[in-house]
Amino acid sequence: MMGMFGRLNGHDTADFRKRFQRLFIIVLIAIAILIIRLAYLQVFKGDEYKLRSENNSVRLRKIAPLRGLIMDTHRQVIVGNQAAFDLVYVPNRVIEIQRIIEQVEDFYEKRGLSLNNDSKLTGKTRPFVPVRLEKNITMAKLAFVETHALDLPGVIVEVAPVRKYSGGEMMSHVIGYTGEVSKEELEKHDDDEMGPGDVIGKSGIEKFLDEYLAGKSGAEQVEVNVTGKVVKALGHVAPVPGYNVVLTIDSELQKAAWEALAGRRGTAVVMDPRDGSILALISTPSFDPNLFNSGISKRDWDRLSKDPLYPMENRAVSGQYPPGSTYKVVVAAAALAEGLITPDTRFFCNGSFELGNRSFRCWQRHGHGWVNLHRALVESCDVYFYNLGKMLGVDKLAEYARAFGFGELSGIDLPREKPGLVPTKAWKLSRRKEPWQLGETIPVSIGQGFNLVTPVQLANAFSTLANGGALWRPRIVKQIEAVDGRVVKVFPPEKKRVLPVRSEHIEMIRQGLWGVVNEKGGTGSALRRPEADVAGKTGTSQVVGLPKNEADRRAKILSGRFRDHALFACFAPYKHPEIAVAVIVEHAGGGGAVAAPVARKIIDAYFHLKTSRAAPTAPIAQNVVNKQAGQ
Amino acid sequence: MKFDRQLLINFDWPLLGIVMAICFIGVMNIYTTGFSLTTAKAPLYLKQIQWIILGLLFMLIVLSIDHRILVQYAYIIHGVAILMLIFVTFYGYTTHGSQRWLALGGFSFQPSELVKLTLILSLARYFADHGTQSRYSIKDLLTPFFILLVPFLLVLRQPDLGTALMLLILFLSMILFVGIRIKDILIAGFLGLLMIPLAWYFLKEYQKERILTFFDPERDPLGSGYHIIQSMIAIGSGGFLGKGFLKGTQTQLKFLPEQQTDFVFSVFAEEWGFVGGFVLIILFLSLILWGFKIAQYSRDLSGTLIAYGITIMIFWGVFINIGMVIGILPVVGIPLPFLSYGGSSIVVLMMSIGLLINISMRRFVLQP
Repeated sequence: MMGMFGRLNGHDTADFRKRFQRLFIIVLIAIAILIIRLAYLQVFKGDEYKLRSENNSVRLRKIAPLRGLIMDTHRQVIVGNQAAFDLVYVPNRVIEIQRIIEQVEDFYEKRGLSLNNDSKLTGKTRPFVPVRLEKNITMAKLAFVETHALDLPGVIVEVAPVRKYSGGEMMSHVIGYTGEVSKEELEKHDDDEMGPGDVIGKSGIEKFLDEYLAGKSGAEQVEVNVTGKVVKALGHVAPVPGYNVVLTIDSELQKAAWEALAGRRGTAVVMDPRDGSILALISTPSFDPNLFNSGISKRDWDRLSKDPLYPMENRAVSGQYPPGSTYKVVVAAAALAEGLITPDTRFFCNGSFELGNRSFRCWQRHGHGWVNLHRALVESCDVYFYNLGKMLGVDKLAEYARAFGFGELSGIDLPREKPGLVPTKAWKLSRRKEPWQLGETIPVSIGQGFNLVTPVQLANAFSTLANGGALWRPRIVKQIEAVDGRVVKVFPPEKKRVLPVRSEHIEMIRQGLWGVVNEKGGTGSALRRPEADVAGKTGTSQVVGLPKNEADRRAKILSGRFRDHALFACFAPYKHPEIAVAVIVEHAGGGGAVAAPVARKIIDAYFHLKTSRAAPTAPIAQNVVNKQAGQ
Repeated sequence: MKFDRQLLINFDWPLLGIVMAICFIGVMNIYTTGFSLTTAKAPLYLKQIQWIILGLLFMLIVLSIDHRILVQYAYIIHGVAILMLIFVTFYGYTTHGSQRWLALGGFSFQPSELVKLTLILSLARYFADHGTQSRYSIKDLLTPFFILLVPFLLVLRQPDLGTALMLLILFLSMILFVGIRIKDILIAGFLGLLMIPLAWYFLKEYQKERILTFFDPERDPLGSGYHIIQSMIAIGSGGFLGKGFLKGTQTQLKFLPEQQTDFVFSVFAEEWGFVGGFVLIILFLSLILWGFKIAQYSRDLSGTLIAYGITIMIFWGVFINIGMVIGILPVVGIPLPFLSYGGSSIVVLMMSIGLLINISMRRFVLQP
């Protein structure tokens, strides 16, 4: 070997010779240590280790943590955990999973039960790695399996916590639901913590705050016998429960809003205009998040995902609707701020507005006569706002719409939010490849045309008017707490911006909105409470243009799918607003007739809850009521 | 570049032969760990073969450039590797809670592997410039220390304790080889001791836990304690002749953790016994000794230092990895060269072997 290495024209390595000699010795000693240790383990101790490997039944088992609780603003628990029982097979050798399933099915059949398993389990088992045959089994099955344990070696019942959504359908669009982590989600996570079979938030707050709610898995080292039962627990690391979440939602008000909508397709958003807190958020139709607990069955999933009414969609943040006349507040604010009108500027409404050879109708066919800003808002005169729209132009209008938070994500703590649409000249040129027509500005100025808003944006815009001009980020999460109550993270209210509109101008619009509800001829009279404390705006948004032909019109209207959306947005009390409400009922007709009564129920419920909570104790309050009733 | 027939004649076939033999064992070994897995993804052993082929390609590239040109640009190359490290720190993606990967069109790449090689190149450049006749004092070593420090801190921050430790060991091995005054060794050792509490402060909780577990395996029977116990059962139960290919129960029943990375040797020793383990270690020993010969007989000082650095890197990889799986060193996450699964590691190792062959075959060539 050495001969091969000549020293022909190498540099002088003589001074290195000694160093390399030492190096050789060091390396040889090190390698010798490895070989000696290896010989010790394999040759000297080989038999002992062989025995240990044959008896090796020590397994690491993951212990799922408890997910954090979700509480409402009054610290009522709205999502908790409950025990569920899973049917699990722990194999002690390699075996076809299909064979076990057949055995269990045979076993069940004798009792008239059937195995409820939609996931396709195939392939072979790995010794001591449990296979979950059925999740969340019924008590009848539990009793049957437990009493016949000897007939089914290896099949055991495991206790696993599942989510308990006490709010059911009414809370599901806020809370979301959980499910087993999917393959794609697993790849995205890509860390040691997450493994197949683990539970992860799939939508709503469960998804948004998953990293806080999830907690940390524990592990235990257990010795199992041939049937897979745990013989001895050797080591144990307790799982760490997830953090608890406190929402701004008031579950009582949420319930009232749910009942106010009474199953009609639509959405309601209730907000505190003082800091942007969402007090209630409803979207119907809805779904029961508890269905997902036992791994949703294929039938249920198909029913939910193929429903033409999209019950899984949260309409409050993902639904985009033409705002209709509720948009008139934006047009009014823009015209006032730009100095184009004063409260006394009047326009004459004869029932229609002419532009070139086109004619745009007012909803009041006979016209409103001379109207100023206040009357125009109260009676929702379209012609008045057509005039403002024409004076402002679509781009100026868009500027103010954006100031109100339209056309952008509100930043609410819920997934899948949509931005809506505020049309501009540039938008149309880039998206439709056509220049903007002046005739298109006219419908935009009464909230028809290209405009799209989400219910959350609408509630937020009216909050801004209510509080005198501050646009808040809609906030749904108040804080996150550890199990011991220590506050982990606070989500403070965030003021996004202030309207570029002077406060006296905002006050003029507010007065108009008060008139809508409380003055004669106002479109929102359904909200006229004895306290006269609500201010709001009706809206009716056309879904599609109706045919001119009267017979076709009627047929289409009757089919229901082409009926207008009913909108109502309001705040109360007028002087010092505490809540802002936006209600949209889909394909229901006029806003004043359909949406306003829903809003009324919500506002009534809010003040009722407020007084009943303010009362010192419930019995005394009750006594007072009884006395009055008796007199 | 001009082709020199003499280079081909002097090609170091035995070295390539040893490396390919070790690689073959590696692929076979990864095959056995993936045997009972039923995933849709491409089996790991096929991927490892792809990486080896890619590595051979890179080896060819490195071969064709005179190592002295590489030394000339050593600092720039090192700088580029450090830039990639910085980039990965901020934009790389995270696996196992550590941010060290760079996605390159379908492949992912770990700059921390490359930086081992560029560190060797840069140190070789520095010490070749300054000679090895007189012994260095601490003051003379400030520049080399700086060459180490930047990548060392970046890698530690990822956090990748194993690679950071490797960089430090490479640095120490280099300066001990070029020579340092005894007095200065003592001072450096003392300073190093002072650094321990500071380093401890920088370590992540799980890293501290691993070190403590080495001194007291009962501390953590579920974590690395469990790993090391299962690893020793696997190796021990292999006995003299092993349980046979694909028959290792510890491996096949997944008692053994991290089978394709840190604990590959345990997989091999379980199935091939002491005989297999011995043969593999001897293969590594011949590779190391061959590398030292190349270093000793290099035509120039920089070649000596590079060859020495690469060889000592392989030596430490073998010694620390095998040492930890047989329970004589703490589990620090240093892979076994050529056997542990890992694309970047294989490609950089192949480039290193390319450099060794490069130095080996140029030692006869007279060049202006």
